[in-house]
Amino acid sequence: MILMKAKAIIPVLLMMLFCTGCWSSREINTLAITICLGIDKTDEGYLITKQVLNPTALAMQKGSDEDPVVLFVQKGENLFSALRKIATESPRKMYNSHVRVVVLGENLVREGIKGILDFFMREHEFRTDFYYVIAKNTTANEVLRIFTPLESVPGVKLYLSLENSERYWGITSAINSIDLVQSILADGINPVLPGIEIISKAGYSEMENSNDEKRLQYTGMGVFQEDKLIGWLSEDEAKGYHYIIGDVGNYVEQVYYNERDQITFEVRNSQSKMIASCKDDKPSVYVEIETSLNIVAVEGVLDITKQENRKVLKELLEKRIKLFCEKAQKKAQQELRSDIFGFGEVIHRKYPKLWKKLKESWDTEYVKLPVHYNITVEIKQAGQISKPLFMKEKK
Amino acid sequence: MGILGRVFRRKSKKQIPQSDTHLYRDLLTNITRVKNDFGQSDDLTVNSFKWNDSSPSICASLYIKSLVNTETINSLSEEISNLKIKDNKSRQALPFDVLRAHFSGVRTLKEGDKYIDLYADLLSGNTVFLLHGSRQYLSIPTESTEGRSVEEPSSQTVIRGPKEGFTENINQNILLVRKRIKSNTLRLENLSVGNLTRTAVGLMYIKNIAKDSIVREIRDRIKKIETDSILEGAYIEEWIKDDRYSVFPTFLSSEKPDSVASALLEGKVAIFTDGTPYVLTAPALMVEFLHSSEDYYHHYIIATMMRFLRFIAFFLTLLVPSFYIAIATFHQEILPTPLLVSIAAQREGVPFPTFLEALIMENTFEILREAGIRMPRAIGPAISIVGALVLGQAAVEAGIISAVIVIIVSITAISSFAIPNYEMANAIRATRFAFMILAGVIGIYGIFIGIIVLTLHLCKLKSIGVPYLTPIAPWIKDGNTDTFFRFPFWVMKNRPFGLHGDDKRRIGGEYTVRKNKKGNQEFR
Repeated sequence: MILMKAKAIIPVLLMMLFCTGCWSSREINTLAITICLGIDKTDEGYLITKQVLNPTALAMQKGSDEDPVVLFVQKGENLFSALRKIATESPRKMYNSHVRVVVLGENLVREGIKGILDFFMREHEFRTDFYYVIAKNTTANEVLRIFTPLESVPGVKLYLSLENSERYWGITSAINSIDLVQSILADGINPVLPGIEIISKAGYSEMENSNDEKRLQYTGMGVFQEDKLIGWLSEDEAKGYHYIIGDVGNYVEQVYYNERDQITFEVRNSQSKMIASCKDDKPSVYVEIETSLNIVAVEGVLDITKQENRKVLKELLEKRIKLFCEKAQKKAQQELRSDIFGFGEVIHRKYPKLWKKLKESWDTEYVKLPVHYNITVEIKQAGQISKPLFMKEKK
Repeated sequence: MGILGRVFRRKSKKQIPQSDTHLYRDLLTNITRVKNDFGQSDDLTVNSFKWNDSSPSICASLYIKSLVNTETINSLSEEISNLKIKDNKSRQALPFDVLRAHFSGVRTLKEGDKYIDLYADLLSGNTVFLLHGSRQYLSIPTESTEGRSVEEPSSQTVIRGPKEGFTENINQNILLVRKRIKSNTLRLENLSVGNLTRTAVGLMYIKNIAKDSIVREIRDRIKKIETDSILEGAYIEEWIKDDRYSVFPTFLSSEKPDSVASALLEGKVAIFTDGTPYVLTAPALMVEFLHSSEDYYHHYIIATMMRFLRFIAFFLTLLVPSFYIAIATFHQEILPTPLLVSIAAQREGVPFPTFLEALIMENTFEILREAGIRMPRAIGPAISIVGALVLGQAAVEAGIISAVIVIIVSITAISSFAIPNYEMANAIRATRFAFMILAGVIGIYGIFIGIIVLTLHLCKLKSIGVPYLTPIAPWIKDGNTDTFFRFPFWVMKNRPFGLHGDDKRRIGGEYTVRKNKKGNQEFR
């Protein structure tokens, strides 16, 4: 009886064995773990730059002569052939599941990235949680050749500082494969991608003869029309963009009061709501922004404990935020003519019938779309002290 | 030995003539027969009893010197000489009734007329009186109770709670439990198992709390055991186990009388075996192997926390090495990147594949553990030095194995020691190797196949007809006040696990301290 049961189970188990996808054993020390991938456009196809971990260098705790990463550069007619061609120069199997950041050269992005995205979504080894950044005014190859401080692996640096700046500098967004593809596919919204720039400043290096004066910095956002890069938002415009879509992290904001008192705020939370409205088939969008801030520093003698002063500060902040929003709107609407805010989508959701008519001519309609702002600001906390430190009490 | 063997064979089909099995009337014939049957063994002592030096022997006392208590024998001799003074009539023979009357009410008496019973009595340490002219014998228990005194158990230590442990003496062990349950419903049945060893086996249960069917089943199974020797409770366990191929223990062995008492109160049956300090309780459930008697001596929140730790340790022991193998050789993508980077850095230069590395280190640990138990106590510290330094530090520094695997093995090892029952810990450690092989061949997929098979196996197991995973599968509501959680005593109203007989309730009447604070007096 038991034997019969066992016999019945064995084929079931065996069938299960063959029902899985691909699996194969590979030891960690036979893998070349790719952390960062750079793609540039060349005349005959793509130029791939791969940053691969060098575990030997990482294993030695301090003072290693070897570099923490190894670069592999290869050309190919398409991405896959270029990636595979690296096998001819690498003793280890390329392992792509841990790619954190994909850097796209600016000239490539201007020509369109649809083909690349299809590859990344289709290929099983790539996950969808890595971030895309654009090498602004340079090539991906150049960006990946810069070694970075603090984080020994440059790819990890790119990844962490992107997340960090999204959280504490509020105006760069980290965008992964799924976000990017979704905003390309959706009607009435166009994607943006953060840009990365090579900067060189004197005074970075402590040593005289050191030549790592070049650093990488995230600057601005690249604006897309469909899958092609068409222009850049400046820092102020990027700020406005984030206020409108309600995705500002812990950003810094400051206002001047009476030309001499500078008050610095930290944005705690900023949310926005886009509401479409329609009058005589003429759509318009209301953007409601709710921002709460904390006071971080008061330079001057303004008594921020007084309600009337706070009211003035609020008004100043509201004006300032509105200014940023309008700047961003103007740039996107008039200059670049790309609906990065997703206004079209908002109208689509509320007035599906109207959208059918607008859909074909949205690119021209969008430029004329009136946008109204309603900004409410709340000052929450004043930090550990209340009145400005050096304010003299009136006697 | 020929006759002995024949006499002790239980299901002997040969009909032995009555004259051969029963005592003779003649005293000397009887004595010679006994002496011959014991092969003139030197410790068989025969004292003949005469009225005076010239008269013939009318009575003889027989005992095996090594088995009896000398003091008891001495006092018995005094009593016999009292009889001599009292009954000084110089008779030819001492009537059986007189002797019996002399002792009755003072000593526990047993009489019989067969050699087979006589030998059994002699061998259990009784003194046997043979009378001239009588075909009966009288036996008086005089066995020696010497042995280890009650000590702290060596394998089940507790911080709080009774520190008495069982000894090798079955009567002592029964006493230790009886002391804890002073109820006339506590029942004890004596059985003897093993054709040669004639080991005393005690079956203890509480009437009405234990299910009759379970008691009957255990009794029947023990009676069916046909073997020449029972030297430890494990013999019984192996003979009467439900699934004899399973590595998982289905009898809970305990060294602590309080654990046995609490098991009895839950409706279990305790099996005492003479000669071992381990008492078996059955039916035993999977979850109970992860319970400790200390769970009930601490606050219920603390006890629940400790229980959770043990459940976590259980899974760590079982799965940590296999998950490491699977992730390091198949599923590198599920690690966070920084962790992968540090593992990759550690693995650099290690000559073995991860699976082999894990297998080597796990085996090394098993050898260390085994050596730690077997070797003389005095060289105990040596093994820890060798183990910690040579195998841990030196091997990592030499680059033969990675530091990660040392951490993995240590976690496994320490977790396995957190499982309170040693047999269960062994079973898990053995299963772990199967999981490691599965992980080494097909990765996490293999581990999950293993988990499915293991779960099916555990569901199939039974302990004396009770499903092993009770009260989880089948789900029993009352049992779950005491499986993963240890509920407060006032919540555990019914006996757990659904194993109990008619007496289901544990508590009755009012609680001493009520929830309603008004009812309680406040003193200031």
